[in-house]
Amino acid sequence: MNHAANHQVIRLTRGLPATLLLCGISLFGMMAVSAAEPPDGALSEEACRTCHAGRDEALVDAWRESAHGGTPAVAGCSACHGSDHAHVGVRARQDDACIDCHGGPKAPVVHSYATSKHGLILRLEQSEWDWRRPLRDAAYRSPGCAYCHLHDSEHDVGRSVRSDPMGPDRGGTVADHLRGVCQECHAPRYVTRLFDNGEKMLETGRMKVREARRLLEEAAHRYDASTLAEGRALLATMQRHLRNVRLGVGHQSPDYQWWHGQPALDGDLLRLKGMLGALERERRLPRTPTAERR
Amino acid sequence: MGATAVKRARYIWIPLLALLIAIPAGFYYVHWSQQGEGAGFYSRLWSPEAIFAYWAPDDFYDSVQSVEGRFEGPACVSCHSAITPGIVNDWRASRHARAETPVYCSDCHGDDHRRLHMPTPRVCGECHATQHGQFLDERRFGFPSHALALERALDANHFVDKPKAEVTACLQCHSVAAKCDSCHTRHRFAAAEARRPEACITCHSGPPHPDVESYFASAHGQIYLAEGAEWDWSKPLREGNYRAPTCAYCHMHQGQHQVADKPIWKFGIKQVNPLTSANRVRRKRWLEVCDDCHDEALARDALVGLDRERKRAWEKLYAAEAELRSLREENLFHPAAGSRPPYPNDWLDRLWPRARIGFFEGQASAFYNVSPIERDYFEMWYFDNLSAYKGAAHGDAERVQAAHARLDADLKAIRARADRLREQARREQAAGIVAPDPSSLWLNGEYTEFNREHN
Repeated sequence: MNHAANHQVIRLTRGLPATLLLCGISLFGMMAVSAAEPPDGALSEEACRTCHAGRDEALVDAWRESAHGGTPAVAGCSACHGSDHAHVGVRARQDDACIDCHGGPKAPVVHSYATSKHGLILRLEQSEWDWRRPLRDAAYRSPGCAYCHLHDSEHDVGRSVRSDPMGPDRGGTVADHLRGVCQECHAPRYVTRLFDNGEKMLETGRMKVREARRLLEEAAHRYDASTLAEGRALLATMQRHLRNVRLGVGHQSPDYQWWHGQPALDGDLLRLKGMLGALERERRLPRTPTAERR
Repeated sequence: MGATAVKRARYIWIPLLALLIAIPAGFYYVHWSQQGEGAGFYSRLWSPEAIFAYWAPDDFYDSVQSVEGRFEGPACVSCHSAITPGIVNDWRASRHARAETPVYCSDCHGDDHRRLHMPTPRVCGECHATQHGQFLDERRFGFPSHALALERALDANHFVDKPKAEVTACLQCHSVAAKCDSCHTRHRFAAAEARRPEACITCHSGPPHPDVESYFASAHGQIYLAEGAEWDWSKPLREGNYRAPTCAYCHMHQGQHQVADKPIWKFGIKQVNPLTSANRVRRKRWLEVCDDCHDEALARDALVGLDRERKRAWEKLYAAEAELRSLREENLFHPAAGSRPPYPNDWLDRLWPRARIGFFEGQASAFYNVSPIERDYFEMWYFDNLSAYKGAAHGDAERVQAAHARLDADLKAIRARADRLREQARREQAAGIVAPDPSSLWLNGEYTEFNREHN
């Protein structure tokens, strides 16, 4: 959304005197910022950090603490922003800045988004959008990667990502952070219900994985590791299916929630049970040299 | 003579009386079965999740209660540009906003904030009567179709059985029967958007229906990918307007909203005779579509090629089904049909447990609560077979070849598994073991138990 609509929010919520004060501060700030000349030509990582550490300290710190940061940096400023200062924002706001490092177009994390309604609207319309606008206030008709995961210049991408589908949502902080993002376009109650349902859907997937894990743990008392190798491989596949459910929920992709997710989990769970059932039956048989595993 | 006539009359009045009782009782039973907390024929057997309000609004939508009062359109816009600016931006760019008399929020959602409703197709149909009429008319062509997608999903065995938060995944696509914005995304609702293949991708992709993958790999799709961005999508889907067809060009020819109106092979899910009189009519209608660009002979060959591909696929599928049926006769499924958690709606299954083999026995729900070899066949039928069909239908020869190679491999794997099952049974029999299944395995477990208790 644009500048004028931000004013609409301020006017509706703060009243006239406060609005004038806010505008004054805002204008002064804009003049001060534009007074510093952006550098010309290609930039080094060091140059970015030296200059921006003084200007956007919190932003640089957030990046340093994030999965992209670290020493040496996993993804430095230029990895997403490029090195041409005139186009740093426009470049980093678009999905192309993320896709190559995140496995390319066929990787589940990219494909689950690309086939969602958000991804498809973006694919059709992105060439007409003004990518100079900041990533907030529904400035884009549909969110790209950065709109949700680096919303309003939030450089700690981990705030909007749940990397472990088996684990809890760090006290609900990821959901709380994203709720505000989704509500810029969607009704608050819709977002709440969607999140609650997504959590429950993910939990049914987790139950399947836990059921499988439990069966394998019990079987480990009766069979040696090599006998259960196929079962462990099935469990590993189930963990990938569960990750698909998480991606499907997060990116709103029905296919990842379902065909790459839940029924895929069902299939490998029953194959594991089939395998263990056959082993159990085999155990009850008198010993023969050609024992079948399945 | 007279006495015989009276006796004979019995053959008329007894059935007549039975019918007089049975017909209203049947109607009443159907009505009664739909009065439960859920929806559809098995509504008494399940309860909805809160999110269902948005996927099946006719059954479950409840208005928000947090804001009170009646609002005119401009008041909605003013408040919501601060609360949900994205919605308002979209609406402003739509034809609804730019019309001489704008179509405001309240025209579709109502003006009483505590009695808002979701604009279902019926609401859209108040203005877009032609499209809505066509959309409803699609029902007469049967399922699979958009118009019947929701009710058939709600009545599916696995939908009734599984935890509702899990099967919400189904509703996101099957709600197409209740939401025009499945294709014309809100709140812009552009016809131009729905004409492009991207409008269909979210639902028509993935293992059982790789429509979009096969289309993009075809010559038609390749032309679209190369040039589509420059075409004028405001033009209707008619002869001469587009250099290559999109999903909608063929399946919604000339913009008509009966999408599945000429389904010869029924999605590839069951074998059909492609040359029945009804299918001959459909073939003729397909030729009329292809005729916009192609010579009739070429189009005819494409249809015949598809007939042949289907015949080949069904030979392989029936070979696998025969193997499964034979295992069923020999009682060699582990778990046996009676040792699996039954569907809550299926009393017949409890009286007469029987594994479901093939489309007509309810194969579509047989992807869990079954033995591994049945699941293998489910994947052969639903993933590899349908991939072959979509490849053949959309002109993606490479996909057809790859999918048929997989069908061959599937059949081989099913036969090998069947041999192992027989071999183990033979040795069990020799050892005098009568009931070989470790029963707790299939009826217990965290998800298995949760699933049984949460419909």
